[in-house]
Amino acid sequence: MAVIDRPAPPAPPPSTQTPASRWGRIRYRARVLLAEPTTLIGIALVLIFGYLVIAPLVAIVSDAARVQFGDDSRAGAPAGSLTGYYLWRVFRSPISASLFWEPLSHTVVVGLGVVVFAVVLGGSMAWLVTRTNVPGRKFLAGALVVPYMLPSWTFALAWLTLFKNGRSGGTPGFLETWGVQTPDWLAYGAVPIIVTLGLHYYPFVFLLFGNALRRIDSQLEESARVLGANRSQGMRHVVLPLLLPSLSSAVLLVLGRVLGTFGTPYILGLPTDYAMLSTSLYRSIHTRAPGVAAVIAAVIVLLGVLVVLIDMRLVREQRRFVTIGGKGSMDRAADLRRWRWPAYGLAMAVFVTSVVVPLMTLALSTVTYAPGVFRADNFTLKFWTAESIPEAVGFPHGLLRSDDLYEAMWNSLRIVGMASLVCGVVGLMVGYVVARSPSRRLSGTLRQVSFLPYLVPGIAFAAAYLTLFAVPRGPIPALYGTTLLLVVVMAITHLPYSSRSGISAMMQLGREPEEAAQVAGAGWLTRLRRIVLPIQKGALTTGVLLPFISGLKELSIVIMLTTASTPLLTTLSINLVDFGYRQQANAAVLIIAALSFTVTYLAQRATRSNLATGLGG
Amino acid sequence: MPNIELIGVDKSYVAGQYAVRDLHLTIPDGGFMCLLGPSGCGKTTTLRMIAGLEQPTRGDIRVGSRLLDSVGKGLFVPPEKRGMGLVFQSYALWPHMTVTRNVEFGLMMRKTPTAQRAQRAAEAMEMLHIAEYAARYPSQLSGGQQQRVALARMLAVDPEVMLLDEPLSNLDARLRLEMRAEIKRIHQRSHATVVLVTHDQLEAMTMATHVTVMNEGVVEQTGTPMEVYERPASVFVAQFVGSPPMNTMPFGSADVGGPGATVADYVAARVGRPPTDGTGGVRPEALNIAYADADVPDGAWRAPAVVETVLPTGSAWTVQLRCHGEPLYVQSYRKIETTPGAEVTLWATAADLHVFDADGRRLTGWDQFLREQRTGRQPAAGPAVASGSGR
Repeated sequence: MAVIDRPAPPAPPPSTQTPASRWGRIRYRARVLLAEPTTLIGIALVLIFGYLVIAPLVAIVSDAARVQFGDDSRAGAPAGSLTGYYLWRVFRSPISASLFWEPLSHTVVVGLGVVVFAVVLGGSMAWLVTRTNVPGRKFLAGALVVPYMLPSWTFALAWLTLFKNGRSGGTPGFLETWGVQTPDWLAYGAVPIIVTLGLHYYPFVFLLFGNALRRIDSQLEESARVLGANRSQGMRHVVLPLLLPSLSSAVLLVLGRVLGTFGTPYILGLPTDYAMLSTSLYRSIHTRAPGVAAVIAAVIVLLGVLVVLIDMRLVREQRRFVTIGGKGSMDRAADLRRWRWPAYGLAMAVFVTSVVVPLMTLALSTVTYAPGVFRADNFTLKFWTAESIPEAVGFPHGLLRSDDLYEAMWNSLRIVGMASLVCGVVGLMVGYVVARSPSRRLSGTLRQVSFLPYLVPGIAFAAAYLTLFAVPRGPIPALYGTTLLLVVVMAITHLPYSSRSGISAMMQLGREPEEAAQVAGAGWLTRLRRIVLPIQKGALTTGVLLPFISGLKELSIVIMLTTASTPLLTTLSINLVDFGYRQQANAAVLIIAALSFTVTYLAQRATRSNLATGLGG
Repeated sequence: MPNIELIGVDKSYVAGQYAVRDLHLTIPDGGFMCLLGPSGCGKTTTLRMIAGLEQPTRGDIRVGSRLLDSVGKGLFVPPEKRGMGLVFQSYALWPHMTVTRNVEFGLMMRKTPTAQRAQRAAEAMEMLHIAEYAARYPSQLSGGQQQRVALARMLAVDPEVMLLDEPLSNLDARLRLEMRAEIKRIHQRSHATVVLVTHDQLEAMTMATHVTVMNEGVVEQTGTPMEVYERPASVFVAQFVGSPPMNTMPFGSADVGGPGATVADYVAARVGRPPTDGTGGVRPEALNIAYADADVPDGAWRAPAVVETVLPTGSAWTVQLRCHGEPLYVQSYRKIETTPGAEVTLWATAADLHVFDADGRRLTGWDQFLREQRTGRQPAAGPAVASGSGR
């Protein structure tokens, strides 16, 4: 019989590795990694970020645990030695109540208050705009985001201009002039801080929650209804569970922001000594108590990390819901019927309260001698344009006449501009390495390291940099007071946002356009110059503009790190507040608001995108 | 026009898991090789390794006399120095360049003089009938036009090796037919070595000179399209190539029809001891329906079956039947007159039967038997049907 076996395939070569072939494999791997500089750039970025992010945090911890210069007698140990003195002083000493525990409880109260305020306001507005037929939805969708484009303490200044009472000196408030003596609880402290921060942060909830509402496919709810659920059951069992993750994300984001906010509690809390963690930190640094400041900063960092970790957990949970996004046909709007116009009135009231009233109040205050008195002889442009205002000793000019304003403006544009340029370019580089690196470990590490600053509230970061660079460290000279330090801190704090957008831009582009060029014979630089950068022009612009806009109104970081020699617009305005020159301070904030709003508007026109959806800083 | 050789190539992304395993493949000079297989079988990875966009974990890749990858020797030539042409599934046209600039790019990288560059780009665009869109941007083109630009971009540099990654999968049926002819024409004109990746067996059959069927990172069979179709090396290949797929019946299935009714019995009666645990197969187009036993030719395999549904497609009739509890398809280009529930006899000639062993590999003993029958020799009463020795 001629039935034969199929010949056996050639035996695979033995898989035992000889040393020679292992060496070859290592060399091969190295050749592949070094065929282009992506890997080297990635490693450099990881090292630089690692140093700029981790070193300050280490400095905080070390400062908190070591006797600071000048404290040796109080701590009972020589400067530089390990000590629990600062922990004791912050947590257990007779002054720890005013140093830490009260600010902590105030921070918690304000945080929760702002969250409730922002969720009620932002949530209801989001529902009105995305799910009902309220008139003017398009206008409202844009208008209700405006408060977030104003510096957060705009509202605080406006509040003070309206409600200020005799407790603090300087120009009286509108109500006081009208003969209404406002109680302290209404003028200063928790209530105004909650309301003003709430007015600033509700757009956050409005955007995040609104996006989630828009994404829910109405067919999901409709299928529940067809299966016999009534309106409220459909809401409870289908819609709410889908919205919960985005809502909790917004809540935690707002909490994180409140934790690091400085301007508002400084302006509204100071007169009644209502301190929050951020202002307590600032006070400790100002009274030259770096050890105590380090402990408080460490607590803020811990709280920030906690908030972000909870948020990340929830976002991961949220991923489970992503697949059922459907076509997002949320067009079916609830018919408000006779409530349409009242609802419109309500939404407009929110807009007026959160944008028009504060801005108008500030504007009016800058052109009147006595606040709230609207007589022809009370109006003046002197606070804007006067050559000299002898009674204001600290700032004896109209704002527009002073060189200080232009110097501050130039400093702001220059420093913020540099920082955002660095941020945008570095963000895209991070995106490039993460998307392209042949080493998964490198891209994973880089992604995580560039996310780290997100965990640290800006004010704690600034404190850390202050501790780190107030003195020369190794080859790095003392950087305190230099613009370089400001640029670095601003760039680092915005890095998570810009690298996130850089990563998503590069991921969206995909590898293929670049690979096509590579196969066609283009080397690395050529590909970068001719393919990647031209395609990512828009993403790069956004990556520069977003940090620029938020950097312009940045205060918490700047207040810690600027010196008299490099005033910025924001610090100028806070200085004027400190002097008690209300009109000029308000005018300065109006200028910041106008600048930030104009840039946002131009940027939206230029990139034809809704920057508001990407606002992170 | 070199031949491409992959020698013992492994690719693994996670230690212990292989996207491609011990791949030995030679693509002959000037050939048109189709890498065919289901998604995730490693075919695209193989193509990208040839291009240099992915790197093997082990093994060598060589084009002609030029060694491009050698993990053992630590040698790697980056993609931009390989001088190949590649068409991506997504086309990967550069959105910020016009059609002309897209097509000219490769020539620019090769530092071709401007005049010559313009002329060659124009020729390539002419050849693919896209000259009129020269000034447009990719976003202003339809999918079919983008596909043509991607091809022109590759053709302009006249590469010796052309790589195509599922180039037709995003086109509608009519365009796909048109582009199939176009690509085949390009290959015939250029004499380049072409490697095309696809999961569409029809594409492989119609265009390629050689087909490699892959499954789970391993080559199942390499051969000409007709070899793969006529003598599939495994059950996997048999079911993957051909539409509708080959009917297969496990040997264990109930043999209610008596001796000779199952493929196993039929095979055993001719080549000795019945292989247990194998699979028999017959292509739908080789399977016939008889209404009376007398209509079945002598010596043919036969089995009773019940008609379940008739599915006319216009040019052909497909009948679904049930035979020994297994669903089977018969396809014929002549009208089949039958109704659901009719009891019929299925038959096929011995030459149309495919026999696979327990591992799913083709039983070479059966092919040997058929070959001897064809040459007229009578098989000796043999000891047994030996099975292939597996992978």
